[in-house]
Amino acid sequence: MSNPADLKYLIVDDFSTMRRIVRGLLKEMGCEKAEEAEDGAVALAALKAQKFDFVVCDINMPNMNGFDFLKAVRADDTLKHIPVLMVTAEARKEDIVLAAQTGASGYIVKPFTKATLEEKVLKIVQKIGAAA
Amino acid sequence: MKMDDLAALMPKGPVTASPEVFQQLGAITRMLHDTLQQLGVMPKLQAAADGLPDARSRLNYIASKTAQAAEKVLDLVDHAKQEHQRIAAETRTLAAALTADPVRAVASGRVMNFVGDVEARTRRIDQHLTDIMMAQDFHDLTGQVVAKVVTLATELEDSLLKLLVQVVPPEQREKVEAQGLQGPVVDAGTRGDVVKDQTEVDDLLASLGF
Repeated sequence: MSNPADLKYLIVDDFSTMRRIVRGLLKEMGCEKAEEAEDGAVALAALKAQKFDFVVCDINMPNMNGFDFLKAVRADDTLKHIPVLMVTAEARKEDIVLAAQTGASGYIVKPFTKATLEEKVLKIVQKIGAAA
Repeated sequence: MKMDDLAALMPKGPVTASPEVFQQLGAITRMLHDTLQQLGVMPKLQAAADGLPDARSRLNYIASKTAQAAEKVLDLVDHAKQEHQRIAAETRTLAAALTADPVRAVASGRVMNFVGDVEARTRRIDQHLTDIMMAQDFHDLTGQVVAKVVTLATELEDSLLKLLVQVVPPEQREKVEAQGLQGPVVDAGTRGDVVKDQTEVDDLLASLGF
């Protein structure tokens, strides 16, 4: 897993606009394979139904928020290896620390740039590739 | 202070509804009402409460307006990018044709067809850009609505805090304090508990070993 373009992404955000923006940015990065989910519960079901290599996830969402989703993913033996990049408007330090402690692979605060997303995705993919 | 925290201040266990209790409740309610009237809180609170349905519709308006604008802009960008990609592809094709046989490329009309096609596509791209610019009108409209809702919310918060301070026991008053709302931070520059940009996020994560 060393080329981001080869991966299949799951974009989790309750705002369809943001899902579309992230998807568009990933596409510009050459990452064509992506699906969307509107909250953590839908995303968790999607992860169990089909194979994804990378998750880009918001925090504030209805039904199941990003933290609960992350906990569920890390607690599942079949899913816990999947990198989860948090992309959120939550800028509180305690949220960032909590995300790191819960097992987030990276953390981006909104508003963000294409360069930031690209850098974080690449960094995570390289880190996983090096560890494998 | 959150509603859950307020609930924690209430007495635990079942409430006995004896006539004496009702009498006392009536007296307290009257005293509270009189106090509120004297404080001038009640009319203000009433006015703010009356504005709530309107605030909901205003917020719904903002949500729909911004969603429409965002979708419209993304659609237009998709269209413009398709036109742009087509021009780029045709340019490469024509360049190859001109390199291979310039006379034939001109004589066959490919060059003029290309010129006409580019003109038509750039005209459409220009229209898309104009539409994108026009779609930004939501900012002005929603900005005005946001200002009104913020004013209403501020009045309501002010009235509720005054009301709260009056009704909680004195020993609990210090617990009644305004707390930050959930969601995007709008005043990061004045707060120490939030990060200001992605660099600070990275620094914080690095300090945690990430």
